[in-house]
Amino acid sequence: MMKSKKLLALFIIGLLSILAIGCSSEPAAAPDAEEQVASDEEAGQLVVYSNRNERFVQALLDKFTEETGIEVLALHGANPLQLVEEQNNVRADIFISNDLGALGYLHGEGLLAESNPEGIESIPTDFRADDNAYFAISARARGLIYNKDMITEEEMPKSAVDLFDAKWSEVENGYAITRGGNGGMIGHISALRYEWGDERTAEWIAAIRENAAGIYQGHGDIRRAVGAGEHSFGLVNNYYFHQQLVEPDNNNVGFIYLDQGEGEMGAVANAAGVGLVKDGPNAENAAIFLQWLLLPENQVAFVGESLELLINSAYGASYPAEVEPSIVDFGDLKVQDMPIKELGNFFEDTTTLIEDAGLDLDLR
Amino acid sequence: MDNRNITQEQLNNSGNAKVGEKNSPTLLRFFRRKWLNIWQSNPPGVGLLSLGFCIAVIMCIPIVYVIWQSVFAGTDRWMRLLDQRIPQLLWNTLSLTTVVTISTVLIGVSLAWIVIRTDIPGKKMWRWLLAMPLTIPPYVGAVTYIIVFGRSGWARDLWESSTFVISTLGEYSINIYSFWGVSFVLTMFTYPYVYLIASASLRKMNRNFEEAAYSQGLSASEVFWKVNLPLLRPAIGAGAILVALYVMGDFGAIAMLRYVTFTAAIYFQRASFDTASASVLSLVLMGLTIVILWLEARTRKKIKYYQSTNTYRKPLTLKLGKWKPFAFLYVSLVFFVSVLLPISVLLYWSKIGVEMGALDARFWGFAFNSLKVSGFAAVICMLFAMPIIYLKSRYPSIVTSIIDKLSYAGYALPGVIVALGFVFIFNNHLPMLYGTFYIVALAFVVRFLPQAMQAGEASLSLLSPRIDEAARSLGYPPWKVMLKVILPNMLPGVLAGGALVFVSSIKELPATLMLRPPGFDTLAVRVYFEASESIYHLAAPAALLIVIVSIIPVRYMLKKY
Repeated sequence: MMKSKKLLALFIIGLLSILAIGCSSEPAAAPDAEEQVASDEEAGQLVVYSNRNERFVQALLDKFTEETGIEVLALHGANPLQLVEEQNNVRADIFISNDLGALGYLHGEGLLAESNPEGIESIPTDFRADDNAYFAISARARGLIYNKDMITEEEMPKSAVDLFDAKWSEVENGYAITRGGNGGMIGHISALRYEWGDERTAEWIAAIRENAAGIYQGHGDIRRAVGAGEHSFGLVNNYYFHQQLVEPDNNNVGFIYLDQGEGEMGAVANAAGVGLVKDGPNAENAAIFLQWLLLPENQVAFVGESLELLINSAYGASYPAEVEPSIVDFGDLKVQDMPIKELGNFFEDTTTLIEDAGLDLDLR
Repeated sequence: MDNRNITQEQLNNSGNAKVGEKNSPTLLRFFRRKWLNIWQSNPPGVGLLSLGFCIAVIMCIPIVYVIWQSVFAGTDRWMRLLDQRIPQLLWNTLSLTTVVTISTVLIGVSLAWIVIRTDIPGKKMWRWLLAMPLTIPPYVGAVTYIIVFGRSGWARDLWESSTFVISTLGEYSINIYSFWGVSFVLTMFTYPYVYLIASASLRKMNRNFEEAAYSQGLSASEVFWKVNLPLLRPAIGAGAILVALYVMGDFGAIAMLRYVTFTAAIYFQRASFDTASASVLSLVLMGLTIVILWLEARTRKKIKYYQSTNTYRKPLTLKLGKWKPFAFLYVSLVFFVSVLLPISVLLYWSKIGVEMGALDARFWGFAFNSLKVSGFAAVICMLFAMPIIYLKSRYPSIVTSIIDKLSYAGYALPGVIVALGFVFIFNNHLPMLYGTFYIVALAFVVRFLPQAMQAGEASLSLLSPRIDEAARSLGYPPWKVMLKVILPNMLPGVLAGGALVFVSSIKELPATLMLRPPGFDTLAVRVYFEASESIYHLAAPAALLIVIVSIIPVRYMLKKY
């Protein structure tokens, strides 16, 4: 008995000393980490989960750290459902989402907290929750990016309805879509369900799944592939078209806003924004972040390299010369009449619908 | 204790004499004898044994947890998955595993044969050059092949710049994102498993058998098929099983090449937080792994080959003659495709990356994260491996072999399953550690502990048990013998094991992706993210660093085989 007790003690001491080594080696091995620890004590940390493209978000977060001294721990590529899973063990303070539906869904689940940051009035009420638990900064519309060397504007499909037709699989090198797990795709399908009902939407998913030549993880892959002539066109958000225009080569691309004709549903819109996570570990810093983000210059920074449309176009997001002529203001666009805030109510059933269709796993 | 019992029973002087006692000394004695029989009269101390047992249990808890979850996933979910998803995934996974295993066996055995048994120029150099693909993780290999053969890769530019090629073969038609693309990439970066084991076996092969065959008038090729190949059978089996397990568990290369196997499906299900479905798929994949392990064990048991050692003579070296240029070309081609090309691509993009300032503070931060988490995992593995291998080699019995087998659970199974179990356990029961880097390091321990065990075992087998006995006779308990006497003597082996774990951890992708806390990206994770965004100038330096670090244990691997 004595022996095993002693041994257990030894074992525990051993483990503890490893932990101690693991912790103490941090500042010892990196002198700049030590400075960081020092500044942490003053300003603290902020944990941000984001499912927006890392390139757009990291620059914004770096700017925040620079100006406030608050260290940001970012988890890029996070799924909104991670917050659901962690609700008894909350880790995140802020959730940045590419899909307002995800934020609406989280709010519906009671995972976001009411907020009232200074400057919130600058966001139109259509683009924020009633209690400001989440709000949108930038907006985008879905549409088709096409390669002008391969297909002309006249030959392109003009409506989501057109994609039911198998003939589009026969265009040169076919067309591309994203995996069903993609936030933009989820929002799009939610909007179609609102417009068409589930049955027809399921048929539509089955049709594009069958007819698409490429199924990609993200929209960035699609714009590059279309630009390089790997596909004739692809289903993306409008700002990916803007991004491709800025590329040094493979930039001879055009864009079709879907369903703009008389009696058609209008382009499916979505927005990117932020939500305040309930019971996050750094609530004070989260409040600072929201307020900071609402400053006009930071709303512009939120758009950043993404080249999305700022909801407050008056703040003058500046676009590169190549893109400027192709910018279509949101006001000039025929947008589907589903309020973007509604997306959250569709989120859960939409993911099930996508899963049933098998599009959530496909890659091609 | 026993004595007092007996005396009490002897004083059995109450009214009714009691028959049959609660603490039957006979029964106790029976168990004690059984217990001693198991250990052949040499049981280890309770402390050491329970320590070993604890470690083994830790190693397999995540997996048990996944099984548990999958059982309670609900009939609906099972039916839906069985109906729609599992058949397709089974086909995808099994067809890929079969093709890659067969092609790695063909390539690995033929290379081993040429390098070990023929007079190919540069024999010594080829021996280790051909093992080099081991240093390139398949997901890095996949990135380089996407850069070269992708839909707008270098090969397309080359193809389209030559009107001759277009006129004869038509438009650029290589599709790397296909079944054959995935098979090719995986084959090129996993054949060394077969190659290394087959060459070790070929080197040890006794010349007498071949000479007997030649004297019976068999030709060189007949000797190969009838003598060498059967003797190689265990080596081929061992190599093939490593490859098959690798292919079933690989996530990075497969996801990058847009193919979906069980492992990738589990990852994506988990990424969209359908954990119940993910655990159902995990259970099927576990079953698949076990079937493969069992099949291999069974076929190996049926046939036994003995090579008597006391008449051992070194094997013959075959003259290649007119085949020399062909053999040389073949070996060079494999080397070019599996090492030279990917490394050149990485160097090319790393150069661009460095010029564009990729080696900034952020990059070194990622490198430091990799170092920290892998180093931590390596230290724990070295500590955990000790008691288990000590028990196994000094106290061989059914109990220790169970402990040993349990420790292999996380090693044989794909990393996504281990990670899935960790998510369940830590989020629900150990929230303290959830969201810290320790959880990543622990997952590495579960995945790679057997590497440290194997290395340690090799050096422990060189130490005579007499040393232990001497120490025991001087009054040390077993655990103290292990720490004070054995450990210092087997340190090189343990450290080599630690190095192996370190390198495997640096390369690890799926578990890191699933478990990393916010703000804690490693080099491997960066390679994956940057490459999937086609930002090659940021992916390449990180990948190159991983490859350079991976060169460390190759020396050890070559010595071992």
